[in-house]
Amino acid sequence: MSTISIQNLTKRYGSVLAVDDLSFDVEPGRVTGFLGPNGSGKTTTLRILLGLATPTTGTATIDGLAYHELPDPVRQVGAALDSGCFHPGRSAAQHLRIIATATGLPRRRVDEVLGLVGLSDVAGRRVGGFSLGMRQRLSLAGALLGDPGVLVFDEPLNGLDPDGIRWLRGLLRELAAQGRTVFVSSHLLTEVAQTVDDVVVLARGRLMTQTTLPDLVARTAVVRVRTPDASRLFEVLTAAGMQVRLVDGSTVEARSATADAVGMAAAAAGVTILELSRHDEDLESLFFELVQQNHQNQEIAA
Amino acid sequence: MNGTLRLARAELRKLFTTKALPVSFAIAIVLAIGSVIVDAMVAGKNGSPRLGTDAGVYQMLKFGAITCVVMLILGILAAGSEFRHRTIIPVLLATPHRARIFAVKVAVIAGLGAVFSAVVFGLGLGTIELTLSAHGMHHLPAGVGHLYAGTVISSACFGMIGVALGALTRNTIGAIVAAIAWTLFIEQVILAAIVPGIEKWLPTAAAIGLTNAPGPDPGRVLPPTTAGLVLAGYALALLAAASRTTMRRDLA
Repeated sequence: MSTISIQNLTKRYGSVLAVDDLSFDVEPGRVTGFLGPNGSGKTTTLRILLGLATPTTGTATIDGLAYHELPDPVRQVGAALDSGCFHPGRSAAQHLRIIATATGLPRRRVDEVLGLVGLSDVAGRRVGGFSLGMRQRLSLAGALLGDPGVLVFDEPLNGLDPDGIRWLRGLLRELAAQGRTVFVSSHLLTEVAQTVDDVVVLARGRLMTQTTLPDLVARTAVVRVRTPDASRLFEVLTAAGMQVRLVDGSTVEARSATADAVGMAAAAAGVTILELSRHDEDLESLFFELVQQNHQNQEIAA
Repeated sequence: MNGTLRLARAELRKLFTTKALPVSFAIAIVLAIGSVIVDAMVAGKNGSPRLGTDAGVYQMLKFGAITCVVMLILGILAAGSEFRHRTIIPVLLATPHRARIFAVKVAVIAGLGAVFSAVVFGLGLGTIELTLSAHGMHHLPAGVGHLYAGTVISSACFGMIGVALGALTRNTIGAIVAAIAWTLFIEQVILAAIVPGIEKWLPTAAAIGLTNAPGPDPGRVLPPTTAGLVLAGYALALLAAASRTTMRRDLA
């Protein structure tokens, strides 16, 4: 199955550095979230990957090949970049038939994908009258037309209603379960947290982290301890290499640590524990923390 | 079927699935036949050539410019709307070969211009024959065949110029307005006044040299062969610039 590989990718528009020496890989059989705030370089990276923009330096490949080198792109890669790439005067079916004609795909495939995205009933209607959600579904239909092994979606949940979001999450999971490479960008981690296996976090064009979602979730875990000897416990946990915060005179919080590890360290030091509980901060806070961290690092470097 | 033929079929499908093509063709046919009827009605009056004379038939056949302007607009729309509506993105994702896509679009528009202008010229000529027959006349001058060929060639060239302009500019409507202003006003009025004698070497005058019979002052237009070469030269130069831009442009 296919792998997406971004290596030392840089894209500069005049004095603006949109993507800065970015490197990561996206593996098949998993849904990978490509996360970052608006303007962080996600869309630029995807456009370079799909051959719509040229990199200043570096490479973006699929199975080791640049997009324009792929022998049969429509059957290898499906992409839904945004919901606005349609002629408003054409119907949904006409839009897809043009792509099918250009690539030699059978006409029945158009009907199949329209059914798959739930647009069969409006196949003959002009796209100009479509809602944002319907356009988003049509964009996804275009990506699925060639039944490709690699799927690239840029902000696919934009404009979808709750039913549509649930449907798309299921579809993405199903596509990955079939062994396909699924790469999904979003500016909201919570939007894709229920769907992705891996995350690539970008800020100001730079890679902040690439990890699995469980690892990212573990980083959000906070173990809160109530103890009569908070300052002593603070020292013990800090010495054990944990990120520790003294909340007040009787409460200590340890980040990126398990409750077991905190309890064992306290017992070994003979610190009495009155209460020990685990709390999960929301993922979005961690996401913003990562992005903020990048901003601070850049300011220090400057 | 090979990739180029599939792309050509897709281009035709694009053209036939929007209103621009049928509307512009209908307008051209109505204007061409209408101009023949009006010319027939005023023939022999106020210094116009008499009906049935060679000059009278040539006057009625001056509608060739209509198909040129229509193909110019259609060419701009065919290329420009791909960028305006961003339909170029799904096309490039399906077939990431910009040079081939551009070449096929140019060929399809040129072919369409040739076929369309041949049909319109045929309809106009048929209207002239019917008009002459109604007055008991059956004479067509020998130069009609040259005008037929000239109209087909110049319409195909103007279609190609339109594609080039549509690809070069990011504002489709602005490109159409500018192109019409150029053909109707800037070239023949302003440039001709600034640099006398230059106008016959410009695209619109070259098209007139192909689509109109020589007038009383043949020095004002180029001979048909030269006019054809000049017009083709403009089309190729603009296509080369547009191709270069299309190949290099980042799509956002």
